[in-house]
Amino acid sequence: AMSDALKKRKSKVVRSETGTPEGKRGRGDGEQEVRVYSEEVELDGSDPAEDYRQYKLTCKALAKLMNEIQELKANGAKDGCAEVEQKRMQSCIHFMSLKKLNRLAHMRLKRGRDQTHEGKQRVDVLHLQLQNLLYEVMHMQKEISKCLEFKSKHEEIDLVSIDEFNKEAPPEISRISITKDDPHQLTLARLDWELEQRKRLAEKYKESLSSKEKIQKSIEVKKEHLSSLQPGLNAIMQASLPVQEYLSMPFEQTQKQIEIARHLPPSLYVLLVQANAYGQACDKSLSVSISGDVDEAKALAKPPDDSQDDDSGDSDAEEEQEKTKRRRPTTGGQLDDKRREMLKRHPLSLCLDLKCKGTHTHTHSLSVTAGCGCVVTIVSCGRELLNSDTLLNCLYANDQGRETPNPANRYQFDKVGISVFGDYVAELGHPYQWVQRLGGLQFPSETPEVCDSLSASHMESTMKLLRGRVQSRLALHKQFSSLEHSIVPVSSECQHLFPTKVLSRLSRWTAITHHEYTNLSFTRHVSDAGLARETDLFFLAVVERGTARLQAAVVLNPRYPEISPLFALSLSWKGERAGRSDDNLRAIESEVNVFKSELQGPRPGHQLLTNQVARLCVCLDVYLETDGQDDSVEGPREFPREKMCLRTARGPNRLKPFKYNHPQGFFSHR
Amino acid sequence: MTLLVSCPFHCFKWLHCFNNSYTFLKFSGTVFFVQHLHMSVFSQSFSPCGRFLAAGNNYGEIAVFSLSSALSPDATDLSQKPILTFTAHEGPVFSLLSTDSHLLSAGNGEVSAWSWAELIKRVIHNLHFSLFSFVFSFISIPPLQENSLVIGGGDNNIHIMDLESGIFKSVLQGHTDYIHCLSVREREGEILSGGEDGAVRIWDCRTGHSVHCIEVFKYEDCARPQYGKWISCLTTDSDWMLCGGGPSLSLWHLRSMSPTSVFPLSGCQRQATFYQDMILSVGEGQFVSHCLMGGEVKAQIPCTPHSLNTLALNLNSTEHRVLTVGGSSHQIDVFANLYYRSFSLSF
Repeated sequence: AMSDALKKRKSKVVRSETGTPEGKRGRGDGEQEVRVYSEEVELDGSDPAEDYRQYKLTCKALAKLMNEIQELKANGAKDGCAEVEQKRMQSCIHFMSLKKLNRLAHMRLKRGRDQTHEGKQRVDVLHLQLQNLLYEVMHMQKEISKCLEFKSKHEEIDLVSIDEFNKEAPPEISRISITKDDPHQLTLARLDWELEQRKRLAEKYKESLSSKEKIQKSIEVKKEHLSSLQPGLNAIMQASLPVQEYLSMPFEQTQKQIEIARHLPPSLYVLLVQANAYGQACDKSLSVSISGDVDEAKALAKPPDDSQDDDSGDSDAEEEQEKTKRRRPTTGGQLDDKRREMLKRHPLSLCLDLKCKGTHTHTHSLSVTAGCGCVVTIVSCGRELLNSDTLLNCLYANDQGRETPNPANRYQFDKVGISVFGDYVAELGHPYQWVQRLGGLQFPSETPEVCDSLSASHMESTMKLLRGRVQSRLALHKQFSSLEHSIVPVSSECQHLFPTKVLSRLSRWTAITHHEYTNLSFTRHVSDAGLARETDLFFLAVVERGTARLQAAVVLNPRYPEISPLFALSLSWKGERAGRSDDNLRAIESEVNVFKSELQGPRPGHQLLTNQVARLCVCLDVYLETDGQDDSVEGPREFPREKMCLRTARGPNRLKPFKYNHPQGFFSHR
Repeated sequence: MTLLVSCPFHCFKWLHCFNNSYTFLKFSGTVFFVQHLHMSVFSQSFSPCGRFLAAGNNYGEIAVFSLSSALSPDATDLSQKPILTFTAHEGPVFSLLSTDSHLLSAGNGEVSAWSWAELIKRVIHNLHFSLFSFVFSFISIPPLQENSLVIGGGDNNIHIMDLESGIFKSVLQGHTDYIHCLSVREREGEILSGGEDGAVRIWDCRTGHSVHCIEVFKYEDCARPQYGKWISCLTTDSDWMLCGGGPSLSLWHLRSMSPTSVFPLSGCQRQATFYQDMILSVGEGQFVSHCLMGGEVKAQIPCTPHSLNTLALNLNSTEHRVLTVGGSSHQIDVFANLYYRSFSLSF
């Protein structure tokens, strides 16, 4: 081992000395057997474990040598001793082998490192390649997906279905053989087909337009021709008028009415139609005509947003109001103007003419002018005494015609400052509810529609009430005039209600106001019961006999004779007695007020009032003649007993017999 | 006529004799008719349980009011209206009387009976029987003769009828004019009657004869000739008797048959009653008079009707112990406390 080591060392030395490559090469070029020493080869050849062992051995030997030297030195050997020197030389040799081993180790390490490095490099390169490829793959995938998602515009077009296409398209387009298999080609073919169809249709459209224009022109021509005929027809119509009259077929008249009627607001139109129908079907004495300015009505109807809605010209007036707003910018009279515009009436109005048979030879007729929801004027030829303002009050219960029936008007009125509609009633007329109903208007209603059936259902009853009202009023007025002359007329049918001899007389009959009525002391109970309202008529009657004076305050409801007049009594005879405190006067009130069915006479019961007054006189007679036994007073009685009575006092309240029995002619208790 | 009905009659054997008829129900509703202005209440009667009041008016109607609902703390206007109104007679219902189970009404010559149980359930089933001439009032007869009805008639006689059999047992004759009112002295078994002829007669039930006859108008203290002599109001408390009408209301001691006090009430009294130690009286005048036995008028409590015809005290019930008065109005005043009007029931 040692010799090997020496050899190796020597070789080393040789190598290291020769620095120049030429030299070495020169030497190397097969001159002599120079040992080419390659460390690398040596490295490959040596075994690291062997080297390690070698190293350990060498160290051991060195340690041994050192020990020996030390021993020798310790034993007193001199410096330079041959043994020591020999040992020293040997240890140097050992040192050199150690060095060699060290170097080998280093070289081995270096080589290992180099190899690792190389390997790493290779791995890096591969890794990089991998990354590149992955990136490329990803890119490709993205591209693919983009391609797949691509929506071509052609998909938005609704194409004809494939079967239809195959059937309809001409073969050069459809190319079935190719397209059957290739969907791409199929789609292309279909698109082609679509394009062609569209072109064709566009052409057709152009053609149709042109033909339409042609036809239009021909229509114009024909229209002109027809309108040229109109004057001729008119002439014929005029000529035929006398013929119509002769045949009593007022064809022309009804045509004219229908023509004008078109311009009526819907509610008036309904009223016209229904009234006409009713008049023709049931009531010959009812006739309807339209009066007013047709042109103005036409003008109103012109603007397109003019409402065809319901209600008294308010909605029309609103339109007017807007127009006038533009014309009059001054704010001063604007509120007044607004108000006026709002309450403006529709220019057309209906005149309902109702003929009622009177008791005399002449017939009375009632004309009711209805102007768009309001009753404008009432004219009755015959009696001027009829108070036209209140004649139709309370035709139906509580229908006073002072308030507008449309709740929406409240807001409209507030806007223009109309607080009380009643103030305008004089010019506008009474918006009675029955008029609204006849015009098919019903408030409150959700849809402002005009309803035919509403009008029809009320027509008959309203007409009957109107006629009844006029007749009863006429009868009343006749009665009033005779009562004012202190005559109580009793018709022959009612003679049986009263005895032949009646001594009490009606001495006065006057009309009084509501205020005066409520101020009378003996009418408190009637006012408190709510039976004396402002719409009622009030009268004061005085019945006298001898020193006795009976005052009767009468409340007459406008719906007379449906509702009986109410009498309240006060007697002044030997002191004041009123109906409330005197049981017998109360009984007389009861006799007169409660027994309407007896007193109203033959239908329609107009004689109720006069019969009531007559009965009042009879009862006063009985009251005075059956006055209690006053034995203390001497002398003749003021009113001798002339009426036949069974019993003069009955019951705990000692009522007198006020019931007259016919024909026996005696009085009894009820 | 005046009727007296004694306490319970157990079965109506006399049903078969007379017609049964159903009268129709008429709801007065809450509308105020003209008839209400001219209505007068003539009679009242409380139900045996004390919870209901029946009142009769001049139109022949009877209204049944529920006192328990009108007096309850949560009473409304509707509880002051009758629970039932029906037409009982053709003429005014002058007299009403309750037995233990039935309500008897009289008017215009007929007497009808109505079952309280049915009336409360608003069923009207009339068991009526006709009599002659008009009827004014009912009263009851003492246990001496059970189940009898004493009727004072317009034919100037008093009839006693047996309620079970329906036959008239006896007639008491003596009055010369029709009879206004009847009363009964239970202890002695006597009937008192007052009439238009001004006489108060005392009858013995058993013998049927008039024991006494007092002509009130002949006593100077009581007489008021300016009004007349009729006796319209009569009531007794066994020892004492109250009578009035044309003559002033006066208190009589029956044993001595003399007037002890005369009450200074103007107007003719139509009904009076003894209550505790007071005398309550109603008549002409818009008030209820409270008088003391000594003759003073202690108080006059105002009420709604201008003159009163009937006064009734509900002694059948302890929790509804009220005084009710009715007269020339459609309203009946109810006094829970005697000294002021609580509220009014109205037809």
